[in-house]
Amino acid sequence: MKIKAEVLIIGGGATGVGISRDLALRGIPSVLIEKGDFASGASGRNHGLFHSGGRYAVSDPEAAHECISENKILRRIAPHCIEETDGFFISLPEEGLDYRERFLRACEKVGIQTTLLSRDEALEQEPELNPNLLSAVRVPDGAIDPFALVLGNAKDAEEHGAKILLHTEIISLILNGDKVKGAKVKDLYQGEEYFVEASYIINATGAWASQTLKLAGLPIGMALSKGSMLITNRRLTHRVINRCRPPFDGDIIVPNHTVSILGTTSIRLEEVENFEVTPHEVSLLIQETSKMIPAIQGTRLIRAYAGIRPLFQSEEKGDDRAISRGFVLMDHEKRDGIKNLVTITGGKLMTYRLMAEKTSDLICKKMGTNVPCSTHSKPLPGANRPTGLTERLKQFTTDRGEVLCDCELIQKEEVKALLEKEKLKNFQDILHRTRLAKGTCQGGFCVYRLFGLLHELRKIEGDSNKILKGFLEERWKGIRPVLWGTALKEEELIESIYKGIFNL
Amino acid sequence: MNKKTWPKSNADACIRCTTCMAVCPVSRVTPKFPGPKQAGPAAARFRRPGEPSADDWIDLCIGCHLCDMVCSSGVNVSELNLIAKAKYLDEKGRPFRDWLLTHSYLWGQLGSFFSPLINLLFKNPVIKWMGEVILKIDRRRELPGYEFLTFRQWFNRKPTKGNPKIAYFYGCYTNTNEVDVGKATVQVLEANGFEVTLPPQRCCGIAMLGNGDFKGAKKMARYNIPSLLNTIHSGSKIVFSSTSCGHMIKHQYSHLLSIPSAEEVAQHLFDVFEFLRNLKESNSLNTHFKELSLKAAYFTPCHLRALGMGIPALEILRLIPGLQIDQIEADCCGMGGTFGFKKEKYEISEEIGKDLKEAIDRLNPEMILTDCEGCRIQIRHLTGLKVLHPIQILRDALQNDG
Amino acid sequence: MRYDLIIIGMGLSGLMAAKTAAGEGKKVLIVGKGMGALCLLSNTIDVLGQFPKIIRMRDNLFQWIKDHPQHPYSKVGLEKIEEALNSFLSLFPPPYSFQTVDHMNCLIPTGAGTLRPTYFIPITMVEGTSLNEGKALIVGLKGFKDFYAHYVADQLKCRGVNVSLSDLLHGEITTTYLGRLMEKNSFIKNIGREIKKQLNGENLIGFPALLGVHDPIQVKNNLEEIIGAKVFEIPTLPPSIPGMRIFNRFKEWLIQKGVTFLLGYPVSKVTLKGKKCEGIEVSHPPVTTSYSADRYILASGRFMGGGLEGTAEKIFEPIFHLPIPQPQSRGGWFEKKFFTVSPHRIHRVGILTNNAFQPIDERGGLILENVWVAGSILAHHHFIDEKSREGIEITTGYWATKKAME
Repeated sequence: MKIKAEVLIIGGGATGVGISRDLALRGIPSVLIEKGDFASGASGRNHGLFHSGGRYAVSDPEAAHECISENKILRRIAPHCIEETDGFFISLPEEGLDYRERFLRACEKVGIQTTLLSRDEALEQEPELNPNLLSAVRVPDGAIDPFALVLGNAKDAEEHGAKILLHTEIISLILNGDKVKGAKVKDLYQGEEYFVEASYIINATGAWASQTLKLAGLPIGMALSKGSMLITNRRLTHRVINRCRPPFDGDIIVPNHTVSILGTTSIRLEEVENFEVTPHEVSLLIQETSKMIPAIQGTRLIRAYAGIRPLFQSEEKGDDRAISRGFVLMDHEKRDGIKNLVTITGGKLMTYRLMAEKTSDLICKKMGTNVPCSTHSKPLPGANRPTGLTERLKQFTTDRGEVLCDCELIQKEEVKALLEKEKLKNFQDILHRTRLAKGTCQGGFCVYRLFGLLHELRKIEGDSNKILKGFLEERWKGIRPVLWGTALKEEELIESIYKGIFNL
Repeated sequence: MNKKTWPKSNADACIRCTTCMAVCPVSRVTPKFPGPKQAGPAAARFRRPGEPSADDWIDLCIGCHLCDMVCSSGVNVSELNLIAKAKYLDEKGRPFRDWLLTHSYLWGQLGSFFSPLINLLFKNPVIKWMGEVILKIDRRRELPGYEFLTFRQWFNRKPTKGNPKIAYFYGCYTNTNEVDVGKATVQVLEANGFEVTLPPQRCCGIAMLGNGDFKGAKKMARYNIPSLLNTIHSGSKIVFSSTSCGHMIKHQYSHLLSIPSAEEVAQHLFDVFEFLRNLKESNSLNTHFKELSLKAAYFTPCHLRALGMGIPALEILRLIPGLQIDQIEADCCGMGGTFGFKKEKYEISEEIGKDLKEAIDRLNPEMILTDCEGCRIQIRHLTGLKVLHPIQILRDALQNDG
Repeated sequence: MRYDLIIIGMGLSGLMAAKTAAGEGKKVLIVGKGMGALCLLSNTIDVLGQFPKIIRMRDNLFQWIKDHPQHPYSKVGLEKIEEALNSFLSLFPPPYSFQTVDHMNCLIPTGAGTLRPTYFIPITMVEGTSLNEGKALIVGLKGFKDFYAHYVADQLKCRGVNVSLSDLLHGEITTTYLGRLMEKNSFIKNIGREIKKQLNGENLIGFPALLGVHDPIQVKNNLEEIIGAKVFEIPTLPPSIPGMRIFNRFKEWLIQKGVTFLLGYPVSKVTLKGKKCEGIEVSHPPVTTSYSADRYILASGRFMGGGLEGTAEKIFEPIFHLPIPQPQSRGGWFEKKFFTVSPHRIHRVGILTNNAFQPIDERGGLILENVWVAGSILAHHHFIDEKSREGIEITTGYWATKKAME
């Protein structure tokens, strides 16, 4: 089998999918391959902060500027993926107010709107804050649902002619003189290998960028930085809470649906896979974030997870395409003499659209066309999912149907509709697209029910308990780092159910 | 009301184990109520201060506290429900019916005075029909009749005797509707050598609290606590015969309503049978019982269970010769205070009650004994049997012939 | 209040302790912070489920005791294990009785379509053990989210159907709601007829374990009569109706025997004098009540029940603060994989006792003279992996109490 594509995009994170949409809106067809599901890498493994740019205002004004301008654009084009909560930068007595002054000046310079709140005003709005705080600066931070954002981009891209192949891995890049002819890929479900011939190839594989380039014999220097995060059982604050000091471990608390996310750490890694959250990181995050919200000391944690930030290590030369220290757009024509290969890496979820725009501009330039970008003005197809918590509770009315997930109030009908609408290849794909297993019991009850439903709808037949065990292993990675207190009690329950009652 | 004074939730402690789902009487009989795990700690994660209530089903929680009792993690499920219910009703507004049901103390005196007329009216089908249409009080419910002479009036006409003193919180229902419970309590205490006093008191407010009216309940508590505190300071303990009033004063005043000094009152407040059991422990209980040949069944009211003292009435009654007493294997009668009077909840109340009735039928007793007036109303309604407070039987056993 | 014996914990071990003491006419108080895990996790009585089906349990136990001298079973001893199990069985006279299949472990189907080894099973589950001898139809109920007929049937290679009934209101129906409906004759008739229509040569009907709370045998008989095939119960997600039946039976019997049943409040404090416990306090804010007894049984369970607690640093026993030997740090509690060959180390942690189930320290010194320890809180077992939950609870609850009363 052979597929022909004008542009081949490797990587289904926010950037890859963003490029796919950008090109599609410019009328350029593309094929995207992704070895897992959408947003399996850093796009789906971050704290979900919708940056105002405040976090970079002092240290990296250029990145801050990018953030605030993308912030304004995304509010317009993807309102359903964003919760406009605002954020506080709180000053604590141990740091004093020196940094706050620099922070306020820096924000003003890059155009981030700030409001200074007194201690009492801040506590009035966020009663869980450390009562010793000196003041808070309000900035237009928010919370973003990365998965909804990526899905929205993918949907729009496909509607405009892009092709997206999930669970399809790249095996090799076939070089032909000064060009890459295409890629040999493998469908991980059918097991089939085939060739994708392409005029242009975009490597948007994030932390895997160097690994992908190795397939063409062009390794680049990447540094991998692990960032770990903890999820609390309940939402601690309405707003994003940042600590007003130079960036450090455990200085941010982001609300997300029913939970809050405590972040982050920064630890250098050698390998892009097989990483875990260490007990030390867990303790560090609790210790630091509880300085902002003391209740965190005793609060219930439900999961720990980590993502890898792809950091590009600047090379002595050929680095001229670096648009900012935030992200790197590499034209391999200039660097390695390969005319039709481009790598985009680094950056952050917040600037995915900008990264996609710049990458698509480069491809257009190579193609000799001059269609302008329109992703900054065309809204994403609106997801019909209501986002507010109250709204979800309201749906849970007296004439509701069965609720599969008690913790996140996910109804059976909702999951059924999803299963009927979309072709999902595996179990994790389903979990990605709903909030099933994201709540207190982390799927302890609802995943059994989801299996039941899949059998009922004949989506799975035969012996499926191997998959269930696989899920429980995956779940284990997330809960093992936080197993004490209430979570430890719950562990005994869930283990007793699956190893006991169900004898798995 | 000031939301800041609401007690802190410990919903985080819930491990989703479903023990509460095994015992909830409401979700056992209707799918309309999602059960304590869902209504309490699970929904708590979705409720946000400042946003309107979205959970109309919360009003179906009957407030039996069973979920609290069985939870190994100590989640205060029924409190979470009550707080959510209060918020819901504060926003939605309460019907006049709820006001009537929760303020019966205001017109109880009047009811007693006009009891010959009112009792007739309460039995009149036209009045009951109107009550259902206008007030949504279910017409299948028999409204409790009033007694002409209130308990307090009876007490004031009677000579005092005995020493030391013991104070009695009798509650509204005893005062105007079931005077004999009060008489029996006084007579039993006197038979044990005590002089009974009646401290100034008002409705305990439990009906208001059960209907989410924290403000109204606090008003009652703020009257009762200083009065009861005075009594205690004068060196007297206090007993109650209504487990609902008792639970309210002993636990909810301090815990849910944060009434100053309520904790001190709680230390000196006893269920009348708990008090008698303590006498028995110190070998000072009057056990000169005559033989009663009677086959009775005892039902444990929810609030008695929530008082956490075992079942003292059963322990005392078992001392009476000839009295065969079985425990009824049922958890909740379904009355839930004012719950069962409401038209929209009558059927749930009735269904829960059916389980109790079946348990009673299996025992086939001549009479039912239970400490709570709500349970007595419900059991009479369900079975047509004679239903008494256990103190009335104990009094009978202590009364020497002639 | 003063008692002969105070039992802390209302799980199966505590209930068994109360039964043992009340059976000898003792004045007993049983106090439970909560209701224990019977109504969640117990459906049948596991004794040593990890052993193959073909060996008699007595022989299993004999070998086990030889190989595991520190295990609670070894402290009870083979003879007393049997005595204890019989004592439990005596609470369940027919019709709702427990039995074994030829005194060996048997395999019962579960809600995940697996087969699970267990020992004593209630009569309502017996037909499930001979699943391969007949042709089975697994029946689920539309609207009930904790059991899936097709899921179970697919793994067991038989047929599954979902019965839809108009009696079931639209909406979410819970285990207890269905369990109650099953006791209504009209409902049984409808569901029985509906199942009969679906039959296609099957002579066995697998049904989620909710054939009524009070009189499951009547329900089973009625169903069988209407359908014309044998019906058996399949345990599934909590809550467990078979477990509730066990709890209710104990409660009824104990209250009848005059045991004081104090459910819902934690022991907040114990008073110790030298090596003796002099009393306990039960907290019920704002009141605390004191109780005392000659002897005490600690049967407070593991983490779920609150008998053990874990902070981020250490595991401790919160009532008597008995020592808990444990791995150096939290990192050593659990293995990297959830499904492991050897159990997670934390599950072996617990209270050390002498052979009489009195708490001792690591050097073997007696800590408290009038406290005995029973149930899952004990060290040196891992009941999840061994499949010995109920067996350990019943036998140690029984024997620790016998020892206490000596």
